[in-house]
Amino acid sequence: MDMFQKFNSYLEEEYEIREKIREIVRQIDSESKEAAATLQIIHISLSDVGKACTDARTIFDKCRILYNDLAQCIPSGQYYRFSDHWNWSIQRLISLIALVVYLEAGFLVTRDTCADILGIKNQQTVGELHLDLETYLLGLLLMVNELSRFAINVVTLGDYSRVLSLQRFVSDLNSGFRLLNLKNDGLRKRYDTLKYDVKKIEEIVYDLSIRGLLKPTEEITEAFTGA
Amino acid sequence: MSFRKQKNLRQNNRDRDSNKQNQKGEELDTNNPIIKQFQIYSVELDDKHDRHERLVKASRDVTIESKRIIFLLHNIDARKNNKTAVLEEAKQRIEKLCTQNFLVIARELQGYDIYQYIRAISAGIQEFIEAFTFCEYLQDKELSDWNQIEKRFKYKTEDNNEYKFDLIPCEFMLGLADLTGEIMRHCINSLGSGDTDNCFKTCKFLQNIYSKYLTLDSVPNRGRDFSQKMSTMRASTLKCEHVCYNLMVRGTEGSKLVSFDGATGVDADNDEGFF
Repeated sequence: MDMFQKFNSYLEEEYEIREKIREIVRQIDSESKEAAATLQIIHISLSDVGKACTDARTIFDKCRILYNDLAQCIPSGQYYRFSDHWNWSIQRLISLIALVVYLEAGFLVTRDTCADILGIKNQQTVGELHLDLETYLLGLLLMVNELSRFAINVVTLGDYSRVLSLQRFVSDLNSGFRLLNLKNDGLRKRYDTLKYDVKKIEEIVYDLSIRGLLKPTEEITEAFTGA
Repeated sequence: MSFRKQKNLRQNNRDRDSNKQNQKGEELDTNNPIIKQFQIYSVELDDKHDRHERLVKASRDVTIESKRIIFLLHNIDARKNNKTAVLEEAKQRIEKLCTQNFLVIARELQGYDIYQYIRAISAGIQEFIEAFTFCEYLQDKELSDWNQIEKRFKYKTEDNNEYKFDLIPCEFMLGLADLTGEIMRHCINSLGSGDTDNCFKTCKFLQNIYSKYLTLDSVPNRGRDFSQKMSTMRASTLKCEHVCYNLMVRGTEGSKLVSFDGATGVDADNDEGFF
């Protein structure tokens, strides 16, 4: 029975591919950690936000090169065979990208743009390296977590008006997620934590408004008449 | 029943949710870019879930039919002299699985990454491999490997579409590991029907295959499944060896009664809970 020899060499081949992937993912991980550390400045000093975003973007460029290498390692049609290795690191990068785009422009980054920034495909073309929808959504949820922290620190740093737009953004995102029919899986579990982030930010808005610290802008009156 | 109830409940919740959405914000739905994006994502996610469900169903059909084929093959009895008839029927039913059920799966997976849905179809594939190789074993053929079986999963339909289904080596090996349980059962049956030569033959086969499995390197991903199967396989082998031992020591007549004393406990925990 040489079937077993054949299987052993198959396993060996697989092991080598995994080793290569692991090495690249390790490099990507260390880059994304650096980006995450750079972006921590937003909780400390609002005037440095712009610079932190540009710094993060240069790191994203580095990641793009690494993802190009990673794409070469994946045998065609076998994205999901190895995707366990990189799912988490892409998620984290997506959350950072979404954060940067929000800080710069105030809107939600689309999946297309994320894929462009990382230099990978958006849609799945038979198992090549692409941005998986679930990974993207998980990344967004990770970002909201960071935003609820940001909302607290923004107040501490004295920029009260920002909280309102943050609240708007997060509640829009929340209603977006409610359009999805989630199965009982990892994504749903993570989605369930979104409401705590929403609540946290709403509480901050409440605290500020009962003390008259928020000027009744158009946005608020609109929100009240709309409801 | 409770599962169905749960599903209905969830469906209701879904409907209620979407109603709420409609009441609250028609204006949100059309203008907000976030909502627009998520509507697209929602379609894609639903499509994925639906495909997953369909594959689970197809796989379950394969599982059931394979189990039945295995059950049929266990009916082979030296006393009834029915071997050729049973094998013929089994072969036909296996052929039907290949040409019909797996075509359904291959169609669903067309253009998709099989590894994405492997969890949906894994059980069916393994059970099929078990039935297929068991049938081959009983025909005294050399067992096919995954490439040889894969050849059966190439289709050309009337509308000139070509489909194929790739058999993943890991899944094949897991299915083959299940075969040992059937071989063990076959050995015990042979003992019952007085076909002692067959007992020694199966025992040799099991010892052989078990030692081959021991030579394998660690299997990634499905590692836990694999080690579990290895311990079951060991138990089956021991059971067969015990049967042969009893045959040698006590002769044919007594072994039928005593061989189970020492051996039944070994496999009790690891049985698949089937039959």
